[in-house]
Amino acid sequence: MQLSLRQIVPTPLRDKINAYNSGIWQQNIDLYKGERIFIQAPSGTGKTTFIHTLYGLRTDFEGIIYWDAYKLPGMSVEDISKLRAMYVSVIFQDLRLFPELTTWENLEIKRHLTGTASQDEVETWLARLGMKDKRDSLAATLSYGEQQRVAIIRALLQPFEWLLMDEPFSHLDHANIEKAAALVSEVVQQNGAGMIMADLDDNEYFPYTRKLWL
Amino acid sequence: MAVKQRQKKRLLRKLLLSSRSNSRLWAALLALCIGTSLLLLSVMIWWNFQQLLEGKQDNDSLGSTFLTISKKVTDENMAKPKMTLFTDADIDALDHAPQVRDVGALTSNRFPVYATLNASFGFATEMFLEAVPDRFMDKKPEDWYWQPSSPEVPIILSSEFLNLYNYGFALSKGLPQLSESSIESLAFDLKVGAGENSQTYRAHVAGFSDRITSVLVPQSFIDYCNKVYANESYTPPSRLIARVADPSDKAFIQYLQSNNYTTNSEQLRWSRLRGVVEVVSSATGLLAILLLGIGALVFILFIELTIARAQHSLSLLLQIGYSPRYLGRFMMQHFFPLLLFTAALSMAIAVLVQMAAADWIKQLHLNLPQWPGLPVWGALAVSTVILLVLVSRSIIRAIGRTT
Repeated sequence: MQLSLRQIVPTPLRDKINAYNSGIWQQNIDLYKGERIFIQAPSGTGKTTFIHTLYGLRTDFEGIIYWDAYKLPGMSVEDISKLRAMYVSVIFQDLRLFPELTTWENLEIKRHLTGTASQDEVETWLARLGMKDKRDSLAATLSYGEQQRVAIIRALLQPFEWLLMDEPFSHLDHANIEKAAALVSEVVQQNGAGMIMADLDDNEYFPYTRKLWL
Repeated sequence: MAVKQRQKKRLLRKLLLSSRSNSRLWAALLALCIGTSLLLLSVMIWWNFQQLLEGKQDNDSLGSTFLTISKKVTDENMAKPKMTLFTDADIDALDHAPQVRDVGALTSNRFPVYATLNASFGFATEMFLEAVPDRFMDKKPEDWYWQPSSPEVPIILSSEFLNLYNYGFALSKGLPQLSESSIESLAFDLKVGAGENSQTYRAHVAGFSDRITSVLVPQSFIDYCNKVYANESYTPPSRLIARVADPSDKAFIQYLQSNNYTTNSEQLRWSRLRGVVEVVSSATGLLAILLLGIGALVFILFIELTIARAQHSLSLLLQIGYSPRYLGRFMMQHFFPLLLFTAALSMAIAVLVQMAAADWIKQLHLNLPQWPGLPVWGALAVSTVILLVLVSRSIIRAIGRTT
């Protein structure tokens, strides 16, 4: 699945964007299948806006986004659901777990949607990220670091051609970042998928094929 | 796979339906149940009344739906006998009047008739005769025919006449009361015509009619005698007999009144009852619709409230890839069985009421079906479908607001 951006400008950032030269806003960019893109985005440049816009959560922008033949704006809500369930997965910066569900239930509700991963796989991944003993804790009682690891695993429990990540490791220490990045790399590779990683500072968590400035 | 579906549903229930307040739900369902029951009841009242009037059930005691109709004798037309006769156009119009299924003419004699009961008794009287097409007779004796060569004429008397004699006349005069069979065994002479152009026939009472208040002879006899002794090939009838599907029908009664026709008004007693039934039925129906409306409103508000409370979970579910259609279906699968259950409960109540009504009305020697009829099921189907459509639309709308 190819991602093509045509002159995207988020309405709230319009004036600000005109003042500097962005590598993404107001550009024509094609991101090809399997690419690993790093987007460096200092605070206030619209990093989260960008991820949310790609994911179809925001409609307050000008320009056109193509996910292959799918076109934003203009996709039906059912098509957007299909895109999210089958082609594009996301790790939100603000994690977005169900606080009233346990770690396990948060993962199960995603896993049951497509049935891509097995229960054993989920157990293994939880263990790899050191979350095994938090399996039955309510998400509301988890620390940010723990919630972030649940959010990472959740994003991997579906088929996807692109993985969108918005500061996915912001609450993790170096050791945990390494484990998480390894897991993400592995599953992205299994899927033959591409990734878009947006973060504040430059990093080498993944072998990026391109780096862009927002 | 089934286990998986169950687990998914369990989690969705936990996220979307856990914060519901049950008392409101039960209140809404109760209102819906009572509303539906009342609706069915109002349809049943109307439908059962129809059954009594024109249903296939045998309801003799309701009185016949045969009406004899004549033009009202008023101060204006009493001096002009032709004014109260029916023209062909009148008959044709009545045949096409609402509820009328068949019309026949009562033909009366235009010649003098003189009856003598066995000369030795010395009982003699002038009388009148009428004839009616056979299809309008309630009883047809076996020997009910006459042809010009027959010396014997069968006669059917109105049982009213016998009653008048037995309970009015005989008691006051100290005369013996007579049974139907004793009268049928009497033979008497019938002299028709006057002077030279006359003829005497043997006559006997062949039966009694509850339907037609008259002295009936076979149609062929009247036609023959009218021709021979009165020299009239055709005289317009002064009375008509009509088979009427529903004599209480307003349009039919209006037709009679506007044409200044009279009929045995007792037959029309049902029209007054029908008025009452219609008021009761429509009042119940109105109340039912009101209750159904309130019930549906509370139910829909409850669903919208449930969805609004689950707004956060709902939007997060949509964000992780659940489709609005799937979540809508999930909500419907949860709420539809409740609606279907209340509909089933209402129908069960309706069936019980119908059975009780059928049992009770048997004591009045009337018959009603044991099961509610098609219109009642139809009302149930229509109200349930409307309710389901309203609820699914509100669910889809409420979820649509979240996307």
